[in-house]
Amino acid sequence: MIQFDWFSRLRNRWGKWVIIAPAAVVVLAVIFIVCFNLAFPRTRCEAVKHLEAPEIAGDCYGCHVKATPKAAQDWYESKHGVQLVKCFVCHGQPDGKGEVVFALNPDVGICRKCHDSSVTNMVNNYGLEPNCVSCHPFHQNSIHHRAYVKPVAKKTID
Amino acid sequence: MEITRREFLKMSAAGAALMAIGCPVAAWAAKGEGEPDRWVKGVCRYCGTGCGVMVGVKGGKVVTVKGDPKNHNAGFLCLKGALMTSVIYAKERITQPLIRKNGKLTPASWDEALNLVASKFKEAIAQHGPKSVAYYGSGQALTEETYLASKIFKAGLKCNNVDGNPRLCMASAVGGYVTTFGKDEPMGSYDDIDNASCFFIIGSNTSECHPILFRRIAARKEANPATKIIVVDPRVTNTTRIADIHISFIPGTDLALLNSMAYVIIKEEMDNPRFHGAYCAFMDKEGKPQTFEDYKKFLEDYAPEKAEKITGIPAKTIKEVAKIFAQSSATMSMWCMGINQRIQGVWANNLIHNLHLLTGQIGRPGATTFSLTGQPNACGGVRDAGGLSHMLPAGRLIANKEHRNQMEKLWGLPEDSLNPEPGLPTIALFEALKEGKIKAMLILCTNPAQSLPDVNRYREAMARKDKFICLIEVFQDAETVQFADVVLAPAFWCERDGVYGCSERRYALIEKAIEPPGQCRPSVNILVDLAKRMGVDPKLVPYNNAADIWDEWRAVAKPTVYNFWGITRERLRKESGLKWPCPSEDHPGTNIRYVRGEDPLVPPDHPTKYFFYGRPDGKAVIWFRPYVGCAEGPDSEYSFVLTTGRVLDQWHTSTMTGKVPEIQRSYPKAFVEINDKDAKKLGIQTGDHVQLETRRDKMVFEARVGEVCRPGLVFVPWFDPKLLINKLTINAVDPISKQPEFKICAVKVSKAAKA
Ligand code: SF4
Repeated sequence: MIQFDWFSRLRNRWGKWVIIAPAAVVVLAVIFIVCFNLAFPRTRCEAVKHLEAPEIAGDCYGCHVKATPKAAQDWYESKHGVQLVKCFVCHGQPDGKGEVVFALNPDVGICRKCHDSSVTNMVNNYGLEPNCVSCHPFHQNSIHHRAYVKPVAKKTID
Repeated sequence: MEITRREFLKMSAAGAALMAIGCPVAAWAAKGEGEPDRWVKGVCRYCGTGCGVMVGVKGGKVVTVKGDPKNHNAGFLCLKGALMTSVIYAKERITQPLIRKNGKLTPASWDEALNLVASKFKEAIAQHGPKSVAYYGSGQALTEETYLASKIFKAGLKCNNVDGNPRLCMASAVGGYVTTFGKDEPMGSYDDIDNASCFFIIGSNTSECHPILFRRIAARKEANPATKIIVVDPRVTNTTRIADIHISFIPGTDLALLNSMAYVIIKEEMDNPRFHGAYCAFMDKEGKPQTFEDYKKFLEDYAPEKAEKITGIPAKTIKEVAKIFAQSSATMSMWCMGINQRIQGVWANNLIHNLHLLTGQIGRPGATTFSLTGQPNACGGVRDAGGLSHMLPAGRLIANKEHRNQMEKLWGLPEDSLNPEPGLPTIALFEALKEGKIKAMLILCTNPAQSLPDVNRYREAMARKDKFICLIEVFQDAETVQFADVVLAPAFWCERDGVYGCSERRYALIEKAIEPPGQCRPSVNILVDLAKRMGVDPKLVPYNNAADIWDEWRAVAKPTVYNFWGITRERLRKESGLKWPCPSEDHPGTNIRYVRGEDPLVPPDHPTKYFFYGRPDGKAVIWFRPYVGCAEGPDSEYSFVLTTGRVLDQWHTSTMTGKVPEIQRSYPKAFVEINDKDAKKLGIQTGDHVQLETRRDKMVFEARVGEVCRPGLVFVPWFDPKLLINKLTINAVDPISKQPEFKICAVKVSKAAKA
């Protein structure tokens, strides 16, 4: 078995750390999850109930601000956040019954609803694949960055 | 099934990653529909921003929409506009005519339904005269539909009871423009947003009601961070997120603020005497000519310290905003229902114009006084095409003999044959229905059983046994359907072609993308058919389609200042909207009116740069409009102010947005927004049930406690048909525009037991 060969080679090289290091990671993860649950008991429940609680599934932000605070905060500060382009416009809804397909990475067709010219420009002028998120990762950069506080670009005087 | 250790690890890692971002293992599948096989140009069905859209069609079905990059919205759409397909294919669509039999709407043939409607109208006219019938239209109907319906009633039936929901929405803005500048419609355009260095936004939650304009304002601020944004609103709305200054004030006192700003501008010599000296006339509230010195005297009552007592705005702030307004290189005012839906709506409009005229902040790129429209065709269709009870097409007035004679000639009628007596404006019209004076009413593309103020009163009127209501409506769950005796099935949005006119005088064509379902027909064809059956001279309605009507409408408007002769159907097909005046086919359209070199109606050799040709003396009017409060202010018994409005997601009565699963989930029902200090006093928390009671009705809402409303104010959105807030609103109207005061009434707030 190739995998176990690989494992025993590691074991020979690093000794007991091969066991200890992953164990430590697991312990830390457990501590993290326990603390997290203690910190947001209700929220965590809601998040897990995604598909079972349609009455709150419409308010993605209300839950995610607690469940995934970074993603929620990034959105809130982004242009999409200021302009209230809400989660479901691009990501759809968990039960998949909406107009938009429920997806973590929305199809480029969704981006094209508003950014068609930019996508076409990237394809035609730079020969890129029509795939926005490969360069503009979700919840970062230009999709979800802090809008309207960018430093003003320096203008050259000539 | 055996899983290898490696696979298991991979799966649990993916699972953990998903858990960590709070997302279940879900449908990752790519879109099933695939690329549309063609794109058809159109205009968004919703708000007055009027964004251009491209409708993606595959196999005869709409599969998606995207923004039209060539229209003013540069390809962007807001949340509503981006989610249109579910609306078209909603299961609630009415696909054949319905007649009420034994209290139940039952399917009928077109012949049966149209004959019934025609006979009811003919019978009413025969027995009670043309005043006993009415048409109630909409700022969402096509320009061609409105022009046609108005012609059928005014010319064909000699009935001037032709009004529409723009009376609830834009009438005060029309009154403001007409009294100040002599002619309706803004002089600026959306392009001004890209050039303004100060935005004065008053009575508008632009962010939620005109999201794509809000985007453009934000983009202006991003490009030029020195741009100042002033938001005047008793609520801290999302619009304030990009504001430099937010001014909250006691609801209904903004007239005092606007007069006080004028006081400061003159006192600190920030006015522009060369401008107002040359281009403005001064008038008191009776319309008697006055001088600048009289105006100064009039403003004495509005020194900031005095205005502070009325409005609750610190004198310092009033001085500060007056300074920013007057001294910016270009100031653009924007307002909407907070100003229009008031019993002093016209006056408030005048006072905003005053500030621009006083400072000369007008007629330059970015310097303009710009009214935002609520509905997609309220500006174009109804105002321009004459779909109101006192108007004829293209700004002509029924009361004006010369105007009537012009229309008689254009319509091929004998001289003096049009009815010289103006018809009833909306509220008076529904009052007449209540009194049994209106026997038959045709309602097109609007939902008055939800949208009228004090709506119980008018639902009762519509429920009268002896009335006859014919409704042309797309969705069977619209509130007004309950009251209709006949419902006709129209083609919806991109199922037929027609022209919409948005806030900036831009006319754009919605092209037909797909076939309507079932037996649905374009409303223009329904109206022509109905008119002929009602005995209207067929020569008055010689149209096969909307394009025929458009050509006649261009010709009717040509001799007036509403000149869009150059906006042919052909051009509308090619171009993404054109702004009138546009007198010839090679004219690019007009960005700034009343300015030599910009507006084709100002002669190129006019001796001065500005020319307010709408008025007989060529001068715009600075009006003396004293502060007057609202119709029903709070008192010891009804101690709060109730205001209503929109939320971003839902639109109007939610008959359309309610069909989009995502939207319906995000805003399933109306709520009451209440200030946290008030809530504390009343022991109310978010989610609690709260009873609102006005002198008209009471209702229970779920509370949203926060800092959005100022203390003493509560807000309820009006989209929810199950919680009809309009049962609580007041039907008091502006004496000039006849627009009701939806925005202010007194309300009692108390905690209710949870059901
Ligand atoms: S801003 Fe108005 S017109 Fe534009 S997409 Fe949104 S709802 Fe439609």
